[in-house]
Amino acid sequence: MPDQKQRVPFRKAVLGLNGGPTDELVVHLGCQLAKSAGNAELVAVHVIEVDWRHELSEELSIENETASALLDMAEGIAEQYKVKLSGDLLQAREVAAALVDEAIEVGADAIIVGLPYRQRFGGDFAIGDAIPYIFQNAPCQVIVVREAVASSAERQTAPDQPELVGARGGR
Amino acid sequence: MTDPQKPWIHGRKPGDRRVRVERPHSAFFRYSGPGTLVAREAASAPRTASGRLVERVRHVLFGRRLSIHEEANERLSKKKALAIFSSDPISSSAYATEEILRVLVLAGAAVLLVSLPIAIAVAVLLTVVSLSYRQIVRAYPSGGGDYAVARRNLPRMASLIVAAALLLDYVMTVAVSTASASEQVISAVPDLANFQVGIAVVAIVLITLGNMRGLSESGNIFAVPTYLFVGSALLMIVIGVFRVVVNGESAPPPNPLPGAPAVPEMLGVLLLIRAFASGSVALTGIEAVANGVPAFKPPEPKNAAATLSAVAVILAVLFVGITFVAYSFGIVPIDDPIRRTVISQVAAVIYGDGSIGFYLFQTFTALILFLAANTSYNAFPRLAAILARDGYMPRQFSFRGDRLAFNSGIVVLSIVALVLLVAFGGDTHALIPLYSVGVFVAFTIGQSGMIFHWLREKPQGWQRGLAINLLGCTMTGVVAVVVLIAKAPTSLLVAIVIPIMVVVMLFIHRQYDASAGHLAVRPDAVFPAPRRDERVIVPIPSINRAVVQAVNVGRSIAPDVRAVLISDEPEEAAAIREQWERQVPDVPLVIVESPYRALVGPLLAYLQVLDQTWPEGKEYPVTFVVIPEYVARHWWERILYNQSANRLRRALIGRPHTVVVNVPYRREVEVPESHRGPADS
Repeated sequence: MPDQKQRVPFRKAVLGLNGGPTDELVVHLGCQLAKSAGNAELVAVHVIEVDWRHELSEELSIENETASALLDMAEGIAEQYKVKLSGDLLQAREVAAALVDEAIEVGADAIIVGLPYRQRFGGDFAIGDAIPYIFQNAPCQVIVVREAVASSAERQTAPDQPELVGARGGR
Repeated sequence: MTDPQKPWIHGRKPGDRRVRVERPHSAFFRYSGPGTLVAREAASAPRTASGRLVERVRHVLFGRRLSIHEEANERLSKKKALAIFSSDPISSSAYATEEILRVLVLAGAAVLLVSLPIAIAVAVLLTVVSLSYRQIVRAYPSGGGDYAVARRNLPRMASLIVAAALLLDYVMTVAVSTASASEQVISAVPDLANFQVGIAVVAIVLITLGNMRGLSESGNIFAVPTYLFVGSALLMIVIGVFRVVVNGESAPPPNPLPGAPAVPEMLGVLLLIRAFASGSVALTGIEAVANGVPAFKPPEPKNAAATLSAVAVILAVLFVGITFVAYSFGIVPIDDPIRRTVISQVAAVIYGDGSIGFYLFQTFTALILFLAANTSYNAFPRLAAILARDGYMPRQFSFRGDRLAFNSGIVVLSIVALVLLVAFGGDTHALIPLYSVGVFVAFTIGQSGMIFHWLREKPQGWQRGLAINLLGCTMTGVVAVVVLIAKAPTSLLVAIVIPIMVVVMLFIHRQYDASAGHLAVRPDAVFPAPRRDERVIVPIPSINRAVVQAVNVGRSIAPDVRAVLISDEPEEAAAIREQWERQVPDVPLVIVESPYRALVGPLLAYLQVLDQTWPEGKEYPVTFVVIPEYVARHWWERILYNQSANRLRRALIGRPHTVVVNVPYRREVEVPESHRGPADS
């Protein structure tokens, strides 16, 4: 009989939220896995990417309110699942690096991130820069949930496409 | 906001730095959209020690606070709904037979024979009423019962009469069911006879607490006693019928009956009518299914109609069956030396007096009666909330408490039921005349509403529905009148109470309408900032930190600030003026000497004089009366301070062009060294 403990997906996981279409998917998946793992804990992290024209610690109030709403959404979903989730709002130059560093600092044994289905000009599938960086640098397991192609197609008609990974602030 | 103390957190690689952004709102609020915050539980937590103590007590009594998202929206299967909605009507079979017998015994043993035809006649009435309610269930799947039907189809007065009758019905359900349950307990354990009212009172208090904790009706805990009662009562009837029909067992009733007054032997029509009116109490609660159609699983109307039919069949079988067995074994109500209910005597004959079966049956009967009382705790507060939203009851009836229950409705229901229970000595028989009238008034108006519904809507097959509701309306109307007359003079109390309730509801509605008219703004109006003069009056008792703080607040409101000292000691006032002019030179002080020692009157007169001296034709200024207040640290300190301020505030509320500003002074306020007095050194 296999050891039940080995089948627990994680004890603590970081959910990378970017304000994009996959955020809810990421939170729901994280909550379901955390619930199946017993007392697993989640840390929802949103990184506001601050460009070099601004101080890293500069207060970006508009971005913060949007980001707070995002983390609050995650907390609301976690409450429904009765899963412990804390929100963490960061400002950094590189979203992926900040996410990996935060996962290390909080002692997470998993990072869960979302990947919208997008194509470059020419039709190639676009994975972006952040997820390869996380794959290469995260010491823990990484779970990537890609949205269904149908969801992506539905979004094509909607205006204001969100960023792929990380909200870009300080513009 | 970013934390200046910890600006950067270094990552693993040089240059990978990040800043943690504080979210001060997150402890108390959650963003649900741009500019929209949702309060968390912590935002409602009390911030004072006494508040926390009260909260702890509330937590123990009523449980933790529930969010509206935690409201259970369980849909009921037919089996579960049958148990939940039938407890009220089916429980009436526990006392309906007794009510018939109590009338008939007055005429002697021979007339007890007619108890069975009367029970059958009531069962026929039940059939017609349940068929009529099936029409309501199908026509109004959103629930609401008679009030909803009357509100949509009849004039306002009719819907208010229904509402009043239903509210009364729910109160009576609590009083009658708990009184009857208590009688069942005493029938089983006669040693508790002295505690008859006490048992019912404790039951109501416990049911109240349970409902204020948000007790859900959908739990299995409510389904089990109903099925146990129905099962054991049906078994009792089957055994009884078998013993009578197959074994030929029967017993003549005792004659003369103990405690029965001497009456003529002739059975008059009036007696028959009275017995029928008494037995019609069996129908109470049959409307419960029509009130709760949305609680059913889809297809809601079909399932609700089927459940309603099942409830009616079970009730009819139990009622007629218990009456048959009671008559066959010569059972009549016994009041002396200790009251024994008819149903408990039937159980004693069938299961054996003092047997386990007897005690179990009595337990199930008491439980279903308590359960029936509990159904009113769902219906009354909801109807009161609907009436409050419609503006016919005070708005607090529509507010939900920490556990999502309509606490105001629950408390009022309990208080009125307790008063009735105690006033009638916990006597079911004495309470029942009040019960039936209201129920049949609601039935009749509800059915007449359905008649108008069919005539107006004319859906497919409307003629059949119309015929059923017409028959139901006529029969229930006749019964309402019969019950009112036959049960007089007690029943006449209802004829007085219902109109009073309607008048009160109309009065409340008129008040709300008037205030809404006063407060309404035109939707197309734009409101620019007002251009109006403002002045500030600071009533002062002396010079102290609270006064200085109030004066400073006044200075921030308008440049025209003046302090007013009402004093009955001229020397002291002169000393205060000297100090005032030295310490607050830019704010004029007006001293109003008050030889009659009044405080509020002279100040109001001074404000009036100020208004009178205002230039004619110019709009009056807004007068801000800034009242300094000392904040008591403990609850018992409150009686020591601010009594004058409270009186002043009460007197000023409602004064035209006047705004009262309270400026609380807290001891924790940091005082600049230059302002400190001797007490600080």
